[in-house]
Amino acid sequence: MRRPRIVTPELQERHGNLGRLLAIIGGAVLALSALLPWSYGFDALDGMTLMFYPSPLQIMGLVLGLVVVLGLVCSRRFPVRRGRPVTGWLRGARAAASGALLYVAIILIAIAVELGGLVNVTLGGWVALVGAALAFVGTRLVAPGPRGTLYDAHARNWLELLAVALVMAAALFGLAYALDTDDPGIFVSFLVFVGTVIAALSGLGVTGWLSAVSQRHRSVLILAAFVVAFLFPFTQNGSDANMSIATQVIIFASAAMGLNIVVGLAGLLDLGYIAFLGAGAFMAAVVSRSAFATLDIHPPFVVVVLMSGLVAATLGLIIGTPTLRVSGDYLAIVTLAFGEIFRITMINLDGEAGPDLTHGSNGIPAIPDLQLGGFNFGKAHTLLGIPLGRFSNYYFLLLLVIALIILVFTRLNNSRIGRGWVAIREDEKAAEAMGVNVFGLKLFAFAGGAFLAGVAGSVKAHVDVSVTPDQYVFLQSAFLLAAIVLGGMGTVLGVLVGAALLVLLPEKLRFVSEYRLLLFGLTLIVMMRFRPEGLIANRRRQLEFHEEDEELAERIDDQIQPSELKGATV
Amino acid sequence: MDVLQQLVNGLSLGALYALIAVGYTVVYGIVQLINFAHGEIFMIGAFGALAVWLLMAQGSVGLWILPLMLIGGVGFAVGTALLTERFAYRPLRNAPRLAPLITAIGVSIFLQELIRLFFGRIPGFPDAKSAIPFPQIDGVTGPALDIGGVIVQRGALFTLIALLLCAAFLFFFVNKTRLGRAMQATSQDPDTSRLMGINVDRIIGVAFALGAALAAVAGLAYGLRYTNIDFRIGFLAGLKAFTAAVLGGIGNINGAVLGGLVLGIVEVTATSFIPGTFGGSAWKDVWAFVLLILVLVFRPQGLLGARVVDRA
Repeated sequence: MRRPRIVTPELQERHGNLGRLLAIIGGAVLALSALLPWSYGFDALDGMTLMFYPSPLQIMGLVLGLVVVLGLVCSRRFPVRRGRPVTGWLRGARAAASGALLYVAIILIAIAVELGGLVNVTLGGWVALVGAALAFVGTRLVAPGPRGTLYDAHARNWLELLAVALVMAAALFGLAYALDTDDPGIFVSFLVFVGTVIAALSGLGVTGWLSAVSQRHRSVLILAAFVVAFLFPFTQNGSDANMSIATQVIIFASAAMGLNIVVGLAGLLDLGYIAFLGAGAFMAAVVSRSAFATLDIHPPFVVVVLMSGLVAATLGLIIGTPTLRVSGDYLAIVTLAFGEIFRITMINLDGEAGPDLTHGSNGIPAIPDLQLGGFNFGKAHTLLGIPLGRFSNYYFLLLLVIALIILVFTRLNNSRIGRGWVAIREDEKAAEAMGVNVFGLKLFAFAGGAFLAGVAGSVKAHVDVSVTPDQYVFLQSAFLLAAIVLGGMGTVLGVLVGAALLVLLPEKLRFVSEYRLLLFGLTLIVMMRFRPEGLIANRRRQLEFHEEDEELAERIDDQIQPSELKGATV
Repeated sequence: MDVLQQLVNGLSLGALYALIAVGYTVVYGIVQLINFAHGEIFMIGAFGALAVWLLMAQGSVGLWILPLMLIGGVGFAVGTALLTERFAYRPLRNAPRLAPLITAIGVSIFLQELIRLFFGRIPGFPDAKSAIPFPQIDGVTGPALDIGGVIVQRGALFTLIALLLCAAFLFFFVNKTRLGRAMQATSQDPDTSRLMGINVDRIIGVAFALGAALAAVAGLAYGLRYTNIDFRIGFLAGLKAFTAAVLGGIGNINGAVLGGLVLGIVEVTATSFIPGTFGGSAWKDVWAFVLLILVLVFRPQGLLGARVVDRA
């Protein structure tokens, strides 16, 4: 399918200067409109009613406007020089302008919805819309210019480290801000803003540079990421409601990361993955100190974690051994069936249809909080004067779990095993002919993924307080899969983003909760059709999905750093 | 007599699986795609039949409405199947194998939600968020028949007869018509059959439509037999039917019918003859899936042998 082109290169050539002027004016108007009130009522969004006192959302509009102006001005001031890395000024401005139009439109719609009608939008709002529209039309009229090649650029070391720190700080503030909004309008607008900024940076070529920088300063980056994740609870002022969501994100992300090994690296579609999480959770529950626990052994938690992992891995071996020998499609359906077997078995082990192990569909409630050494996870603690509630405690524990899973993921990915998986994924027969132990590696991925799910499940049992069979149904497996598909198969960052989106979106957008699953199914279909490699693409994976796209292949070829040739990670 | 009774129960349950399993096998035989959404096509067949009844004969249970319900169910199911094929699967035909599988899951969830959310919005239609009673048509439902000491529900008999007729139609269609032979050729070698002048896109459409039509028949039979339908019936039925298709040998149409019947019998006999706590209806689904895993271990090509060249 080719899109019809309204703006042709000839048109751009003829009216390029006009477009440039329009866009600069539009961007400036959008930026200045932040000083005007946008709405009549104070109740809409974050209260954009004051003259010369922009609200956070208006400041975001201002930023987008400035980016447009900056891109256009700089493209003249800093023309492309041979042998120097190119900054894609015009592409950045273009992305910022398109995003800004969407952003302003969404804000106006949100004002109209929340206050009842577009009459509540004041002059400032309309000025912003006109500005964004001018910028959009203007940037379209200018030829897009060269693609940014900043990934070749090397800045001073301290500058690169500063950039990493800035990105991390931005991520921290962004997350805190997103979690703190109760208003769906603000949340959606903010998401659009973040998406626009990322698109503009990628147009400029900055994302390519950041990705290269993160390759050069890998350990710093990872350290910084964990520092940020560690600092997160301290931004929440002891609010356990937000921390509860954050722990849900991490549990979900750990499970998704485990599944990512199976699906993203080895290419095995596992549709019953949630059952392994459930197996770990039930294992931890039946040996917990709950009054309803059925086994009268209470090993220390470290042992419980291992036991949960091993039980899940054993189940993985039992399911994997017969099915991994035959064609991959069977695995999908057998794991789906296994998920059902697991759920039915957990319901049936209630003392009537089988031995009493799980109390049937009631599950095991009242699982006590963890007690590690003298530290009780259920009690609120105070660190550096900042109160940390129950969920904050579990949050730190879960950070450790997900760190372990990410470590396993990246180490495996960059090893001989990981390369074997890639080979199997791309062409099983060729891999076998090259001496890759296909069955062994597949089984290892499958059972290993199950082990990690079991580990995550054992913690989840304590966080959730109760374990019931209906928490572990097919739909949950589908959600995990969706997190991977949405974020990007085989990447760490992508899966984190996907998991965060899939937990946060339904939490913050209650008004679509009725249509949640419908949209979810549609997302899977549309993603597979138009961007099967996910929002954040693993380069090799992207090539696998777009085998016939020569231009893409060359572009990726240009970007790959020599240090990367050993393994394909982003 | 008990054994014979269980055999009849098993056959009638298996007939339902067999009707759905044909759809999996035909599609898999040609495009090597496990169409997860096929269970949902079955569900839509049942809802389509119900919709026709609600629109044309609400309150009446005369036998005359049955053919109309059948046509309505088949129409809805075939339409949905063709739409999903055209807009969801066809663009992915050359994509890596993972992509269409994930799409199929998306389609499956999407169709379920479509029925759940929007069926009740049509004026005069009941809300589909919980089970809806299915019209109990005279003649094909009602008091059970007693044939020589074996009790046969009328709905079960209807399912069996429907399977017999459909199997006869399938045999005729696949072996005696040009379209059917073109389908066989395509499933053996799509590239060569394209060279021989077969429109492969059309054949794939026919395969989807054929499977959907049989699934719709199964949907109607399900409604008559179990008196209630809801938007979730497709999930388990689809899973079982896929098991049946693998049991018979995927890609093999005769195998799908045989596999369905065998699966039905196994399920019923496991429920009534396994002693102790592991018998009983609570475990019947587990036994069906254990059978699937056993088949994959000991006879992955299925009872009658898979007819699919492994192009993995």
